[in-house]
Amino acid sequence: MLEAINLSKTYGGHKALTDINLSVGPGEVYCLLGANGAGKTTTINLFMGFIKPSSGTVKINELDVTTQASETKKFLAYIPENLNLYGNLSGLENLQFFTGLGGDKPDRELSEHLLLSVDLQTDAIHKRVSEYSKGMRQKVGIAIAKAKKARNLLMDEPTSGLDPQASNDFAQLLENMRQKNVAILMATHDLFRAKESGTHIGIMKEGKLIHELKSDKITLLELEQLYLETMKSESHVEISS
Amino acid sequence: MLKLVVRKELLTALRDTRLQVSGGILIVLMLTAVLVGKQGQRQIQKEREQAQASMYDKWVNQGEKHPHSAAHYGQFAFKPKPVLSFLDQGLDTYTGISVFLEAHKQHEVLFSGAQDSNGMTRFGEMTVALVLQVLMPLLIIFLTFNIFSKEREEGTLKLIHAQGLGMRQLFIGKVAGTFLIVLMIFIPIVVLAYLLLDESSASIDAGVTGKFFAMALGYVAYFLVFVFLSVLISAFARNSGLSLLTMLGVWIVSCIILPKATANLADKIYPTPSQFEFKRTIQHKVKNGIDGHNPSDARLTTLKQQVLDQYGVKSIDELPVNWSGIAMQAGEEYTDQVYDQEFSKVENIFRKQNRISEWAGFINPYLAVRNLSMALAGTDFRHHVVFAKAAENYRRGFVKIMNKDMEVNHKPGIAYGDYKLGKEMWSSIESFNYELPGISSVLSYQWRSITALIFWLVGLFFLSSHYAPKIPKL
Repeated sequence: MLEAINLSKTYGGHKALTDINLSVGPGEVYCLLGANGAGKTTTINLFMGFIKPSSGTVKINELDVTTQASETKKFLAYIPENLNLYGNLSGLENLQFFTGLGGDKPDRELSEHLLLSVDLQTDAIHKRVSEYSKGMRQKVGIAIAKAKKARNLLMDEPTSGLDPQASNDFAQLLENMRQKNVAILMATHDLFRAKESGTHIGIMKEGKLIHELKSDKITLLELEQLYLETMKSESHVEISS
Repeated sequence: MLKLVVRKELLTALRDTRLQVSGGILIVLMLTAVLVGKQGQRQIQKEREQAQASMYDKWVNQGEKHPHSAAHYGQFAFKPKPVLSFLDQGLDTYTGISVFLEAHKQHEVLFSGAQDSNGMTRFGEMTVALVLQVLMPLLIIFLTFNIFSKEREEGTLKLIHAQGLGMRQLFIGKVAGTFLIVLMIFIPIVVLAYLLLDESSASIDAGVTGKFFAMALGYVAYFLVFVFLSVLISAFARNSGLSLLTMLGVWIVSCIILPKATANLADKIYPTPSQFEFKRTIQHKVKNGIDGHNPSDARLTTLKQQVLDQYGVKSIDELPVNWSGIAMQAGEEYTDQVYDQEFSKVENIFRKQNRISEWAGFINPYLAVRNLSMALAGTDFRHHVVFAKAAENYRRGFVKIMNKDMEVNHKPGIAYGDYKLGKEMWSSIESFNYELPGISSVLSYQWRSITALIFWLVGLFFLSSHYAPKIPKL
């Protein structure tokens, strides 16, 4: 369960986020849409505890991220936008390193199984990550997230730069995790992916959550029109359902 | 978790081709410096031992002559080449190696290595100390300049944080991993150098093994200081470029600018008199008396009267002993007194200058390890002074024996040329033998450098502990 309550973030005099309220329950995929600088990544960063909120609260499984930072990490997995991993290590070594940091290092067999389960090719597992494409690196990132068996997943534009096939594979993996009741919050520019994979969609502009809607109540075309209108219009909050 | 971070740091570094090349070059440089240095030390020591033996042989076989002539025939004292000088030449190249010992005069220690070398010597020799003190920090910089900033730039730092690893643990893991790599380069050199400490080494310097390990420990502390410092800079630098620039700045200031500046500052605060001034003062004081009111002729007159009174005679001719022998020894002792007084003034100035350099170790760890390393290698200024004093004491000893013999045995009435001594007398004086100060002596006068290294380690540890949780993840 992911919750933002009256969440605001100010850098100097600039308001990066203003009074954000959102909630992502188990089995929900919440997609945050918005132009660059809308506040999507800031929201993800606040959930991750990379930065502290200026006001408001961020909660993960009822725990306050600001005051119980290390506790919240146990319930959380994360896939950043540009996941480069360690080029000198293989996919398997990267997986074992990152999962080990969580305190639960899987054995070699399980690690290989995890990498295969995210459709990484068998011969790629032992290759150095410097030889991987972005899609392959993202798959390792997903495997790391899966290995943690966290109940909450945060993703910051995970499909940016992926080819359509890799993006589709990614959507399937996301659906698998959703079916396992993982609460997923994803920042993305990809309207199609948000409509297809998300259960909820939030449209952000200038640090505010302008629209919040359920994806099954709107067509892709309507979403696109709403998005474009929002980008053109003055900021105001409207909650759709 | 710490083990995982250390292992990852090791793996990524060892698989880095640039590191393999630079680390390899450093190892080759050090191996060469150790082997060439040891070969040179052995050869020089052998030459000096041979020269010392040859000069003593000449002394013993100088033929029959008057003892005072023998005192002027003189002897040579050769400074042994310290065993650990193959690791750290220190000031050995610039201080002299031998001194001529004769009656009346305190000659300076001459024939430094630099005198016989070309101008390149001024740029420093390729010694293990140079590699360890100057080049190893460069490798550490190379290893660490992007150790955090790259993680931040490539997003892995976020992922590490998301996995629940605290920044303090990550920091310690990175320090430990880097330090292990440094040790992997350093330990083979330590082992090789240790194997080269053969039995003959102990005959030159009994405490050589202890000094060797103390030196190795000093370098280990120095590397750890640099690793801590570099990782800390990388952790808070905005990007890898800035991190590299900052570290190179620190390296240039600590390894190049500050040592020169410290030496210049020490010389400005405590200026040393010139060699000419030093000698002139001694000559003046010997001639006019230490207080300027007791000239040599007056001193001689007083002494003469004292001796005449002692033997109850009216003239020198009536003395049962040789007046010249007494007068010469008295002259020697007065000159020695003047020399000791002036030498201690100069020594005191040098000591104060060195003290500035030792205190500067608290603002520059390079100076701390350099001073400690030189001292343990037996190539610092203190060791040179100890040698010079030992040679001077030896000179005083044998000149005194010559004068005493003259006083007692060269009876009045016998012409100078008719009183002669031979091999039996010359060989009764043992050859010059000098022992290097022991390890406890070295460590006790180097307490500032040792404390400075500990200060840096403890300070950086606490600084890191305090600031590591604040390492920016973005």
